Amino acid sequence: MGMLHNLADLIKIKKDKMTILVLGLNNSGKSSIINHFKKSSEQTSIVVPTVGFMVEQFYSMSGVSIKAIDMSGATRYRNLWEHQFKNCHGIIYVIDSSDRMRFVVVKDELDLVLQHPDLCNRIVPILFYGNKMDMEDSLSSVKIAAALRLENIKEKPWHICSSSAVSGEGLGEGVQWLIQQMRFAMLNNKNAAKSRSKHSK
Amino acid sequence: MAGAPNWLHVDTEDESPSPHLTTLSSCMALSDVQCDGYVRLLAADISLDDDAEEPSATLKVFRGLKLKQEQPLPGIPTAIESLYIDETEPKTPVIAVAIAESVLFYRHLKPYFKYTIPALESEDLELEVWRKLPVMKSSSHPALLDSLRNIDHSKLSRKSQRLLQMSEEEREDFIATHKDSPVGRVGSIVAMCCLKRISSDANPPSHLVLATDSGHILILEPQGFNLVFQGRTCDDETAVPSLISVQGTFETDFCIVVATRNGGVYLLRKTQSEGQEIFKLGIPLTGVLLLPIDQTIIASTMDNRYMCYSKRGKLLHQVQLADLPVCLLPLPMIHLGLTLVAIALRGGVVKFYLQRYLVDEFSLDETVDAMVYGRMGMEDHVLTLVTQSGKIVVKILRRVSRFEPKLGDMGSKRSGSDHKSIADASILDKPKKSSIFVEQAAREKQQAKSTYGSFQVELWRLRHTAARATIDAINSSESTISGDLTHAPVKLSAEVCGSGPAFRLYLTVQNLSTFKMASNLVVLLHADRRHYTIPQTLARLPSVLPGVPLRVDFEVVAVLDPMDKLPPASLTPDNSLIRVMLMKAGQAKPLIAAAVSMPQSEAAF
Repeated sequence: MGMLHNLADLIKIKKDKMTILVLGLNNSGKSSIINHFKKSSEQTSIVVPTVGFMVEQFYSMSGVSIKAIDMSGATRYRNLWEHQFKNCHGIIYVIDSSDRMRFVVVKDELDLVLQHPDLCNRIVPILFYGNKMDMEDSLSSVKIAAALRLENIKEKPWHICSSSAVSGEGLGEGVQWLIQQMRFAMLNNKNAAKSRSKHSK
Repeated sequence: MAGAPNWLHVDTEDESPSPHLTTLSSCMALSDVQCDGYVRLLAADISLDDDAEEPSATLKVFRGLKLKQEQPLPGIPTAIESLYIDETEPKTPVIAVAIAESVLFYRHLKPYFKYTIPALESEDLELEVWRKLPVMKSSSHPALLDSLRNIDHSKLSRKSQRLLQMSEEEREDFIATHKDSPVGRVGSIVAMCCLKRISSDANPPSHLVLATDSGHILILEPQGFNLVFQGRTCDDETAVPSLISVQGTFETDFCIVVATRNGGVYLLRKTQSEGQEIFKLGIPLTGVLLLPIDQTIIASTMDNRYMCYSKRGKLLHQVQLADLPVCLLPLPMIHLGLTLVAIALRGGVVKFYLQRYLVDEFSLDETVDAMVYGRMGMEDHVLTLVTQSGKIVVKILRRVSRFEPKLGDMGSKRSGSDHKSIADASILDKPKKSSIFVEQAAREKQQAKSTYGSFQVELWRLRHTAARATIDAINSSESTISGDLTHAPVKLSAEVCGSGPAFRLYLTVQNLSTFKMASNLVVLLHADRRHYTIPQTLARLPSVLPGVPLRVDFEVVAVLDPMDKLPPASLTPDNSLIRVMLMKAGQAKPLIAAAVSMPQSEAAF
């Protein structure tokens, strides 16, 4: 009986949309990554700096419908990020792995995201893209994880992978991980809600 | 906000080779040299090694903190600026490097143009000497050179200055080789600044403002290389500019603030080509700034002060610094709508002031020599600091940082009262000097002695009157509260009831002490017997406990003429009084002596 329930839940999830928030500093390659996930007919050849935010729809390779909110990374738009925290299921945090000077800013912004009250008590998987891996002085994902001290993130599942938004390398792997984690999180939330309602009865 | 620093420190430990730089604030610039949107740090690295024969300089370009390019410079630069010269797209910045009397322009880091400031007129005598030197015998040279020595050294051309320093053997060759070169005197550029032509969008085309050691202020238009403005710091030849700061736009209006080596600060405007002295300090300045919004002039001096003047030369506020200020930098924060002033002190402390308030500070291991602030890389608010040993430190402003003056105010209060007193002394609100004020001041000056004397006389008279009144009050005990210190304080209040001729006088005696008992009290009433009849004039009171009021009453009958039923003629409202005395048994002096004024009596029918 329980298994059937789970199965039904899985099918249900497949029907509803997953919302992913795409964050990162300006010029880290957020829009380019989203552009890569879109159908080849909808892709744009020139990516311009995002103003405010863009909402994009696409299907992942496993057929899950994904609504991606592509936030602008410019300093003056970064305060818009927090308004989307409430209704997102997963976060993609894009890092320019060649811009070593700004790692400290990346870390600061990441801390602000993680400490936000809308996120700190929820299980939201975070996927880090060490983007621009094709650049000459880019750092490996291990080094980025060390520089950002990602090992201190205990409450949320996270994963880091190197990527290149230009060639599309490494992008699929990351998104697969993220979708899997979002499913787990949703199931957990539902189970938790169920058990809570049982308790209240 | 407390706890979290406002500035994020960029870690440069693992950078190899670690960047090294010896430079000045004026020799650093931020520029998008490659036109790729990534702003690079440009700096002149000045090598002052003892083993090298001549000090030399190289222009270095850093991408992030990585040295990407370098180019030797033909001399030691005084300033480097990055500017846009036209509106053509794509906008390409031009690097201007001021070296001695010329400005070198680089485009895409390739030499592009060299501009030399116009030569000054030489003294006639000097021209004459140079005409004579090649043709006359060497025996007569010393006489000619002596005549050159009579001219002010700074007014000689470089050629003559050099010649005067030479020994006799060298002179022959020097004269032979330089006899045909022009006898021109050129000033060196001591400071250079950018001035926007118009206030338009980002990266508007700019002009260059040059200050020379001959005291000239020039504005160079870098498209046709014409001088579009020529001014002088002041008519005094010895006022050599050392620092300049510019605000405004060339097309509308601009202000140039020039600080000289002897501590004077002058202001030039578009309409006013000769500097107007704003203020003069006896000590050299280490930095001068003209702030964009409130148009105040900030100066830091060698005697550890940070001062703010208005454009009219009024000292608005000053702060005593803990150590010598080494460099001063404005930090315009457009997103917050304010401009901070960063001051690097000797020892490595960097303080940030918002007007007079200290809003932030941090400390480095060693003294900061040079600072530059602005967009670097992809980040808007980056502060780059170069320390004395050549280490580059990069700090990035946190996005959530806010600078509140209140926090700083509290900080300065805590840090010491001497800071406060200096700040307060300068902001005292003094009235404007009106003609009455001036006349009064003159009178005071003329008759100081008699003014002082009459003031003192009046003062003593006042004191005397006050003292006499005090003595009287004490002696007569004329009050409603007893003043005897050895006794519990007692308060007396009176109330008169009735309309006459029979009245009832209610007295309330209250002990005001918290623990002492007031015992053996007697109330005595006294009145003129022609006016009032009091059947009982004396009452012995029981002990009055603290806090419990005691009420006693007396009958008072007004005396009326039996014939016409009217009060006697001698009764006036002034003397219709009943004296009430509260006494302690065994003491001659009453504790309280009060007078109760009686109302006018009705006629009895």
